Amino acid sequence: MSSRNGTDGSLLASLPFTLGALAFAIAPHVQYLPVWVTVTFLYCAASRWYIEKRRWRLPPPWLRIVLALLSFLAILFSYEKVSGVGPGSALLAVMGSLKLLETRVRRDQFVLLFISIFMMMASLLREQFLWSLPYLIAGIVVTMTAWLNMSLARPVSLRRSIASSCRLILLAAPVAIAMWIFFPRISTPFWSVPIDTSSGVSGLSDNMSPGDISSLSLSDAVAFRVRFDGAVPPPSQRYWRGLILHQFNGRTWTGREPSIDPRARRRISVSGEPVRYQVVLEPTRQHWIFALDMVIDWNLKQSFMGPDQQLAYTLPIDQRLSYSAVSHTSYTTDPQMTSLAKSWYSRLPESRNLQSIALAREMRAAAGSDQKFIESVLRRFHEEDFYYTLQPPPLGRDPVDQFLFETRRGFCEHYASAFAVMMRAAGIPSRIVLGYQGGELNPLGNYMIVRQSDAHAWTEVWLPGRGWHRVDPTAAVAPERIESGMSGARYEAIGASWGLEAPAQWLHQLTLTWDALNARWNDWILGYGPENQQLFMQWLGMKKPDWQKMLFTLLGLVTLGIVAVSIILLRRNRPPPKDAAARLYAQFTRKTGLPPHTGETPQNYARRLHERPGQNPQSVDRVTTRYLAARYGTPDQQALQELKSAVVEFRRSA
Amino acid sequence: MQVRSTVEQMPAESNAPIAALDQARKSLNTIILGKEEEISLALACLLARGHLLIEDLPGLGKTMLAQSLARVLGLTFQRIQFTSDLLPADIVGVSIFNQKQGEFRFQPGPVFAQLVLADEVNRATPKAQSALLEAMEEKQVSVDGKTHNLPSPYFVVATQNPSDQIGTFPLPESQLDRFLMRLELGYPDEKSERALLTGTDRRKMLDEIDASLDAGALGSLQDAVERVHVSEPLLDYVQALVRFSRESPEIETGLSPRGALALIAAARAHAFILHHSGVFPDDLQTVFAAVAGHRLKPASGSAIRNAGELSRHVLDSVAIP
Repeated sequence: MSSRNGTDGSLLASLPFTLGALAFAIAPHVQYLPVWVTVTFLYCAASRWYIEKRRWRLPPPWLRIVLALLSFLAILFSYEKVSGVGPGSALLAVMGSLKLLETRVRRDQFVLLFISIFMMMASLLREQFLWSLPYLIAGIVVTMTAWLNMSLARPVSLRRSIASSCRLILLAAPVAIAMWIFFPRISTPFWSVPIDTSSGVSGLSDNMSPGDISSLSLSDAVAFRVRFDGAVPPPSQRYWRGLILHQFNGRTWTGREPSIDPRARRRISVSGEPVRYQVVLEPTRQHWIFALDMVIDWNLKQSFMGPDQQLAYTLPIDQRLSYSAVSHTSYTTDPQMTSLAKSWYSRLPESRNLQSIALAREMRAAAGSDQKFIESVLRRFHEEDFYYTLQPPPLGRDPVDQFLFETRRGFCEHYASAFAVMMRAAGIPSRIVLGYQGGELNPLGNYMIVRQSDAHAWTEVWLPGRGWHRVDPTAAVAPERIESGMSGARYEAIGASWGLEAPAQWLHQLTLTWDALNARWNDWILGYGPENQQLFMQWLGMKKPDWQKMLFTLLGLVTLGIVAVSIILLRRNRPPPKDAAARLYAQFTRKTGLPPHTGETPQNYARRLHERPGQNPQSVDRVTTRYLAARYGTPDQQALQELKSAVVEFRRSA
Repeated sequence: MQVRSTVEQMPAESNAPIAALDQARKSLNTIILGKEEEISLALACLLARGHLLIEDLPGLGKTMLAQSLARVLGLTFQRIQFTSDLLPADIVGVSIFNQKQGEFRFQPGPVFAQLVLADEVNRATPKAQSALLEAMEEKQVSVDGKTHNLPSPYFVVATQNPSDQIGTFPLPESQLDRFLMRLELGYPDEKSERALLTGTDRRKMLDEIDASLDAGALGSLQDAVERVHVSEPLLDYVQALVRFSRESPEIETGLSPRGALALIAAARAHAFILHHSGVFPDDLQTVFAAVAGHRLKPASGSAIRNAGELSRHVLDSVAIP
């Protein structure tokens, strides 16, 4: 006997599918969710299955309520809020898991499937990769299969139910594709989804301390991709300007918040050929926009140039940004500088890194001029035994002193920092630029990939008459870093660690192919915004596309699709009229203009016709009676003749 | 709309019983008001040599219908009130020792009537129920190794209260299958109820009514019913209905071949009552809920819960070939 709360094993057939669909939906979230959420799901899923198998009772309502409250509080505790993608999906995952514990009938499982679909879609709010689409399709197939399995009275084979769900999805796909293409895109979204900030995005931070960039050098995440219109500048010119740091506290360099300086652009004067290119920037959750040194023109709404000629966006960059820009690799900026600015850019904290300051003053005195002093410092880096390494030793309170006089091993940020400090010690205005240097050309897509491992820090110094200009002390120590970039070295290292050389090449090729695919995906699928849509509509032959036209086209296409599918399905289900009587009767029903319902008998149909004005009841009855007699009555040639004359008469009178 | 009668097409010798059947139908409709369709169905059930199960709440005229049927059709009538202490012997009868002749003599039970009303059949134990159901199926009774034939025609009307009442043994599916039809009478409409309340006592009316038919005439009508024409398209339709009932996800148990045969037999009888020249789709649809309703089981979790809706679902989903 099953009690009120007891399970009866009736869900044994459908439960695995429901659990599978839920697991599929939660999987993309797992890496962002607190571990206890995943554990809760696994525990609930396993115990629900076990309960059904053992025909146990489900947990009592009070326990479920307590659990729900506890998990709500736990989420509040983990995230300190309940809105946003992170807490939202965690809440869904936990409540879905708890819902399992009260799933008793089919309806409950439907709720779980709705949650699954919702969570699958929610995973797109976090990230949209190339593999997101196949994953989503697989997830929908699993959910649909679960759905079908639940709706069927008798279990069918797994293959058959998967085939039916695939068929359903295929039938729906044209509508989905049409909606995707034609649904009017709006440049500014109505809503902004608060992105999950608990997970880190690798990238440059707003300040620089020793060790910051070297930790980035191990990440091959893509920072941005660039497509050049003309010739690609040589590696030594590929400095991607990001943010400027000009305040030093002895250890950490910091910049200022993004701010507009309308005169910044005017202070640039350029020479030589312009370089034109388009950038697709991956989300950084910061404001900085990267462009080739030195950018003079760019087209991106809501962006501006700051006082140090760095570009910034008004909002944190949560979505992939695409912009085109024009740069000149030979340029001068800020030929004049006030004495106030000069002292600002030469400020150093007192009583820190004193040895370095003393050394710089000594070298400046020996050099005679600022230019010579710069050269001598670079020469010192080049000729004395300074090493360029990804694993520099940790540095203490006076990092510049320690680096210059003790460890002498460092990464670009060490050199840039030490160089800038020495310049400032000698009274030369200097600042640090954070950005990227280099980039790898992907021959497959003919574009350049700039990765996080290309992150770089260099210095700019100001000299009277020349203005600000770039000096990269790292180039003095490790010119190969500047000339060949980081990428090659990494793959060789991987290959070497396997004791093989061939896989390195092969792996590199594979990575490039994958990235080319991703770039196409980003351009065409994820980047299908208002601009691309306009272009595509024009390509399709729509003149002056606007949202009304698109919406009407969409409605038309969807209606057409539904009508087409309905006709196909109706054709398949309608039995072909076989005999003469049926054909005559079909003529009659067509003539009335009122199609009979499925399973409507001739007499009921006649009754329905009587209610319509303008029909002659007698002639309708005559046709009906004779049809029934001719088709279902005792076989009789005369009856058929009578039907024929009745139909002819009806058609004439109508 | 009433489709023109085609009495002319029927064999001439059976004209008299057909007129009597019409008369019987008319008489029944004067006693039981507002239930024309149910009366046609009950008559069709009887003409198709089937047994009838009436399932409804007390007081809706189940017993009245059975009594009137017996009366109007001129059949001998016995009523068995099923109770929880009813024994099989109370139904089929017992052998009693006759001291004078020094032998056992069989004393037939109430089951030996042409029309047996088994009232509230679900109140008795399964053992008593099965005694009746065996008699229905075999049309004979075996007591002490001796077989006794039941009278002919033989017609059982069983009534049953909806099974969620206390202290009942609902008939299992396999035994429900023995009944050709299951009917629900339901409440009368306003007008009929008013006529019932103001008219003469129905029992008195019943006593005054004359039999329109007798056993012999009924037998010949039953033979005639079997000769009603069933066309190829109609057989297609029956097969389509049966196939759908087996394939629909809403239905757990579809119609068996026996169910299909029952459908055709009942539709034939219905067509005969309405003087159709053959079985029309309308006949099939009219008898469908009564014949198929208790043979279909909705799928667990289906939105459809009762037999009427389930039958409607089948009829509305299958195109008439």
